[in-house]
Amino acid sequence: MFLIKKSDVLKIAEELGKEYQLYGPFVEKTSGQTFFDKVGSASEINLGAPIPSAPPKQSVFPQMERILSYKYDSAKKSVEVKPDFTVTPKALFGLRSCDLNGLLCLDRFFLGQEFVDEVYRNHRRGMFIVTNSCTTPFKQCLCVCMDSGPFAKEGYDLNLTDLGDEYLVEAGSDKGKMLAEKMGLKAAADAHMKQKSEKLDKAITLFEPVAVDNKAWISRVINRVTTGFAKEEVWEYVGDQCFECGACTFVCPSCSCFNVVDVNDTACAGCTDRLRSWDSCAYEGYARMAGGHNPRKPVEDRRNKRFFCKLSYSQSKKYLRPGCVGCGRCQWVCPGDIGIPNVVTYVRREITKQG
Amino acid sequence: MSEGMINGKIVTIPEVATIEEIKDEIREVKTFYLNFDKKEIKDNLKIKSGQFIMCTIFGAGEFAVSLPPSPENDRFHITVRSVGKVTRALHALKPGDKVGIRGPFGNGFPFAELKGKNIVYVAGGIGLIPLRSSIMHVLQHKEDFGDVYVLLGARTPDDHMYKENLKEWQGGVPGFKCFLSVDVETPGWKGEVGFVHTLLDKANIPIENTVAFVCGPPVMFNTVIGELMKRGLSDENIYSTLERHMKCGIGKCQHCMVGRTLVCTDGPVYTFRQIKTLGEQI
Repeated sequence: MFLIKKSDVLKIAEELGKEYQLYGPFVEKTSGQTFFDKVGSASEINLGAPIPSAPPKQSVFPQMERILSYKYDSAKKSVEVKPDFTVTPKALFGLRSCDLNGLLCLDRFFLGQEFVDEVYRNHRRGMFIVTNSCTTPFKQCLCVCMDSGPFAKEGYDLNLTDLGDEYLVEAGSDKGKMLAEKMGLKAAADAHMKQKSEKLDKAITLFEPVAVDNKAWISRVINRVTTGFAKEEVWEYVGDQCFECGACTFVCPSCSCFNVVDVNDTACAGCTDRLRSWDSCAYEGYARMAGGHNPRKPVEDRRNKRFFCKLSYSQSKKYLRPGCVGCGRCQWVCPGDIGIPNVVTYVRREITKQG
Repeated sequence: MSEGMINGKIVTIPEVATIEEIKDEIREVKTFYLNFDKKEIKDNLKIKSGQFIMCTIFGAGEFAVSLPPSPENDRFHITVRSVGKVTRALHALKPGDKVGIRGPFGNGFPFAELKGKNIVYVAGGIGLIPLRSSIMHVLQHKEDFGDVYVLLGARTPDDHMYKENLKEWQGGVPGFKCFLSVDVETPGWKGEVGFVHTLLDKANIPIENTVAFVCGPPVMFNTVIGELMKRGLSDENIYSTLERHMKCGIGKCQHCMVGRTLVCTDGPVYTFRQIKTLGEQI
């Protein structure tokens, strides 16, 4: 445990910027929106900025990226296949706990199971993570329901907590500890930890009633969804509300479905890039096969897929936590009002109706 | 060993193979015999009956295709219908052209559980492609299984797949019977007319100690399974391979999710009991 003066906190980011490609939250001047992305220098970072509109997912899983390229010479019948796994160690600075949990979801998904996703691994390799404790939840936040906030518990190298004039700096790894020591940070005392837990207690009371309400219901809803007892009508209602815009999946820190296409380079004969891009289970063409057969045509068939993914116990069994991290962005962006909290409410309403 | 190879599977980076020979099967369907350019791949690739591969047509894209060769002694080949952009590009290739291969992926047929059982294969049209590897395997290990029935239905006699194999299977291997049907009366066709499930009676298939493998278009699939169950075959003794849109083959892209399973890693072979619980259209 260490302390750093509030006015000095970006020195940590500066230090990281020397060795890593630096990512952090900043407020864009023209739109006034917070983004979490690459920054030119540590001074651009704004730790007090509201929750970024998109999660830091693109630092490990870009919206579109080349995963392979090949050159086919059809006259000589020769092929050169080149994998494209570039390594640039990245430092994520000022990550919120919900987004860190989203990243850990992606880790378990892409790096666990039988096969490892090489492309993801190379983004993730050597990454340095600095989390920032949330002390004021926003309107849509429901991380308390999903056990992913407001303070990070694991998976960070350094965690910052705003204590007023100072930041409490906790090391979560040797790498983090080494950096804090290298920078000569002052040691913190037990009193500072106590201050942190008071902040935490206070933050929890600040959640909007919707989150507090959902918290008591989430396990029952998960149970209902898992056992398939959520009535068809609920999914039909959810389906009817869906515009199939895919926004919920794109702003979700843990959604990871992707599409792969081969795109020919017009400037170079025979050169092709294999690109992968985010995809959404909301789209009609998502499951459509060659020849046109679409096993998942009705919209409710596709919509409930996402909520199964986020709210089914099978996720917890496989990846040790629900698929939702409670950032509330899906609620925020959905034009049809079917973000996770609302779907929880719909299922819950149905449970109550049945007694 | 190749960089992208894990446990005998080519996982992320396609390995280059040369088309050695192309055979016309039926209208729009061709078989491509392939040879890996690297000998070590050829030697280390272990395919199981029922698995599939991802095939890259350079400059066009990648598609998933089931493997018809017997795991033991056929030449490596794929049988593909020209149905979309990428498969059309494959059909335009000539012997000597190159393709990329990843795989094999998927679970395969559970042969260990089938010892001593009668096996009924019911295929509709090109549904015979994924079943072929299993039929070839069973034929090569005839002593391990009971009676074997192959029932194949197609629109016209010209649409019967793998004609050479059919001739061989109809040729009187003891305990091995093959029946064919066509959907519509065709001049010159003296065999059965009617959808493939009508062959179930003609073949007089056994129900005791029997498993069935069903593969074909969704309509045929549902009818045949209904007929099999009417005759008393239980849902855990009916197997099928599901087809889905796939992009990665290794359980990451999620395009092939059916219910809570992924066809690429949990399938493509499912029992009908499993399929019923997936809660999705097939």
